[in-house]
Amino acid sequence: MSARQDRGHDGRQGLTALSTQGTLDTVVAAETPEGILLELRPAGLVPRFYAFMIDWMIRIAVMWVAIIVTSIMGGIGIALWLILVFALEWLYPIAFELMPSGATPGKRAFELKVILDNGLPITPAAAVTRNLLRTADFLPFAFGLAIVSMLVRSDCKRLGDLAAGTLVVYEPRPSRKVVATHVEAIAPARPLSPQDQAALAALAARASRLTPERLDELAAMAAVVSGDRGRAGPEVTRRVLGVARWVLGGR
Amino acid sequence: MMTPLRFEEMYEEEWTELEALLDAVRGRKGSVPPPATVSGARLAALYRRVCEHLALARARFYPVHLIDRLERLTGDAHQVIYYRRDFGIARLREFVAADFPRAIRQHAAYVAAAAAAFVLPTVLIGCLVYWRPELILSVVSVEQAASIEQMYSPAAHSIGRERSANSDWIMFGYYIRNNIGVAFQCFAGGLFAGIGSLFFLGYNGAFGGAVAGYLTERGLSSTFYSFVATHAAFELTAIVLSGAAGLRVGFALLDPGRLTRAQALVVATRESAVLLYGVTALLLVAAAVEAFWSSATWLPHGVKYGVAGVCWVAVLGYCTFQGRRAD
Repeated sequence: MSARQDRGHDGRQGLTALSTQGTLDTVVAAETPEGILLELRPAGLVPRFYAFMIDWMIRIAVMWVAIIVTSIMGGIGIALWLILVFALEWLYPIAFELMPSGATPGKRAFELKVILDNGLPITPAAAVTRNLLRTADFLPFAFGLAIVSMLVRSDCKRLGDLAAGTLVVYEPRPSRKVVATHVEAIAPARPLSPQDQAALAALAARASRLTPERLDELAAMAAVVSGDRGRAGPEVTRRVLGVARWVLGGR
Repeated sequence: MMTPLRFEEMYEEEWTELEALLDAVRGRKGSVPPPATVSGARLAALYRRVCEHLALARARFYPVHLIDRLERLTGDAHQVIYYRRDFGIARLREFVAADFPRAIRQHAAYVAAAAAAFVLPTVLIGCLVYWRPELILSVVSVEQAASIEQMYSPAAHSIGRERSANSDWIMFGYYIRNNIGVAFQCFAGGLFAGIGSLFFLGYNGAFGGAVAGYLTERGLSSTFYSFVATHAAFELTAIVLSGAAGLRVGFALLDPGRLTRAQALVVATRESAVLLYGVTALLLVAAAVEAFWSSATWLPHGVKYGVAGVCWVAVLGYCTFQGRRAD
């Protein structure tokens, strides 16, 4: 069986090997028809719990306002209130998750969104099932099964997510563009493998966020690239960052 | 020689154009000169270009911020391009005319099993309670039994509820909240190898049977049956169908066939979700009928039974024959 067929059996296996080999990260990779891998970052129990609490408080608030409004309307008011309670209980998450943002207000507050586990936007059928199955997740009490399932699985799915094939992921956030421009580019002392180049670029990107002492420590580990093996200090750091700048193209 | 900086310079224009297009599609304000109209072809072409760039950048181990930006860009574009807006009036008509009844027939075996799980306890417990009425007390308390009896007494102002709640509207809201919740439970229970569905079906069936048997023995059958006959056509059908959807899910776990259990589960829920949309609609109809029609005391029983007959024929006919012609 070819590698590709093998991967087709379980979308994740082959992809994980490509992008997250040997890491503790919980990244789920999804392959698009265009042949690229989207890296999805599942959200764990804690942010989802907070998001749930926010949604819960919003619902309670709406119910309280509705009680005040409907109580002056008599019989029809009570009916409207009961229907509203039903809608808040079952339709609130479904409606919000089907909107382009793919998230309830609580999830949006924590930059989470619901998508299908192949990276596609959520479909109505998936939104309905994942939210109706909340009943099953609630068992035996206080969302016991959901909590266990989210803690046990690396992709943090609850039962409803498993059945609907959905994932709750973090909205990707842009990482800061930092290029070491204040140092002079220096040609490396020896040819650098792609991995070495990536490590240097990552170091340069983090340089401004590290304390000078820590930066010196890290740069000392990479001192080979500028021909300073075994030495450390601000001067070595400057030269290593110079090589990083060269790698990034500043020559 | 190609370096990350050159790479970024060369394609920056395309990336910002795609970013602007995406902002325009998602209706975000404040993007750099927003394009007047969004061209789908342009969006798709740019998306494929950026996918290429991402693949190149990854293969060449370009800096993290560059790869991150491309990942974000392709991820956003992917969400926008594949977002489906297929719920409109036309879709709804297709659903009522074909999808829902076809889904019912597609799940015929599960519907039959769910119907059996519901009807058998109803009949069994019903007969048992009719034979020995004191058994009703093993299902409900003495007070509840008394209140049930009082609800269906011919002297009641309106049937099927206590006198205190005398507004049709209140009961309409109550039935929506209560009955649809029960149906959703029947479905969700399916996740436990179908046992939950069987339990809820059997439990609701047994409870209904017990009440029916008790009231029949008490001689209140005419008020009771004329009350339940009409909305039962919608309500019982809906409960059985949601149970069938649950059983489908449960069976997918027990016998996943050539798929893994996880995959079989996803396929099963995706297909049975169609049933749930229909179940919700049926229960909304049932709630309206129960609140505004079934409870009316001024209607002669003959009329009620007649309408009930029409409803049953309509519902069962719809499930059996609607949408058979291929279009």
